[in-house]
Amino acid sequence: MEIEASDAELAARIGSGNDREAEAELLRRMAPRIRLYGLRHLRSEPAADDLMQQVLITTLEALRAGRLREPEKLVSFVLGTCRMTVLDLRRNAQRKERLLDRFGADLLKPAPAPVEDLDQELLARCVQGLKERERAVIVMTFYDEQTSADLANFLGVSEANVRVIRHRAIHQLRNCMEVGG
Amino acid sequence: MNCANPLDAGILGDYWAGALSQTEEETVEEHLLGCDECGERLLELGALADSVRKLARQGSLLMVVSDRFLQRIAAEGLHAREYTPPRGGNIACTVTADDDFLIGRLTADLSGAKQIDLSLCDERGIERLRLTDIPFNPRGGSVAFQQSITYAKAAPSETMIARLIARDDGGARSMLGEYTFHHTRTLPGPGT
Repeated sequence: MEIEASDAELAARIGSGNDREAEAELLRRMAPRIRLYGLRHLRSEPAADDLMQQVLITTLEALRAGRLREPEKLVSFVLGTCRMTVLDLRRNAQRKERLLDRFGADLLKPAPAPVEDLDQELLARCVQGLKERERAVIVMTFYDEQTSADLANFLGVSEANVRVIRHRAIHQLRNCMEVGG
Repeated sequence: MNCANPLDAGILGDYWAGALSQTEEETVEEHLLGCDECGERLLELGALADSVRKLARQGSLLMVVSDRFLQRIAAEGLHAREYTPPRGGNIACTVTADDDFLIGRLTADLSGAKQIDLSLCDERGIERLRLTDIPFNPRGGSVAFQQSITYAKAAPSETMIARLIARDDGGARSMLGEYTFHHTRTLPGPGT
């Protein structure tokens, strides 16, 4: 049975010469992971795609040039590049917003990419089926992105309690979506 | 895929919600950059979060909301129609096609309450729905609740009575306030 090369082994192969196969495999693995980081930090699919491309290019350039001397530190390198690129993208986004405000956002903004939705009717039933405090925490966390401190203040409980309520609510929502309401 | 140390579901939830410390967040991100299995679980959570966000923007949930939530709605350019009937009194209300959210604000002294239920009754005072143990700020002086805008736009003219009921540690109940909403349907269609 063939053992799959680790990420660090692929990085080492890329660094030691022209290994297109290793490059393709590493890009295939890292792309969705970097994109997920982008979704978490940028909350936008197009922005996450931009991040993914930029980080992959930077990583590949570094590996080909042999700048990553310790391949086992690949994850740390990618994570650091992700952080720097997110900062750049945020700065660019702010600049872009200012330009859009100046020249007319409706004319210049591209149409948002379609996102595959969960069954909204089922989700509505499941969210409505939560306890009042659970519903408040879920909606205000995911819609308004309120911090645990804000929610703790609203609910009159501790931040640790907010986390417990959120864990329970997510668990119940998932179960409800799985069994169909 | 076989993750030897799968991230706890609660940690993933906190990570997506931005509720972890910087050190915790870094640990989670290092793991995620090397683990597709946990990444897949986080992606599912992200899809759930996105769908909840879209659902919340539709204004169709019946729930108690915070003032900050209402500020966010306004910042997004959505229109919330808000009614504040006097305690013990009534108010005439309606909803138009341009409204995105419908909010009832119930003013009361909440300072001594340990737990509060919101009871929604028909015009005869018969309870139709109860939101048990609602979130409230004891110093806030009011509770804002969102009625489903989808329902309100389709509903015929009708009267709804809302009651705030406090419960103390021993389970004893007391009425903090009663508020009557006379809804007149102004949108064209059945029930006008």
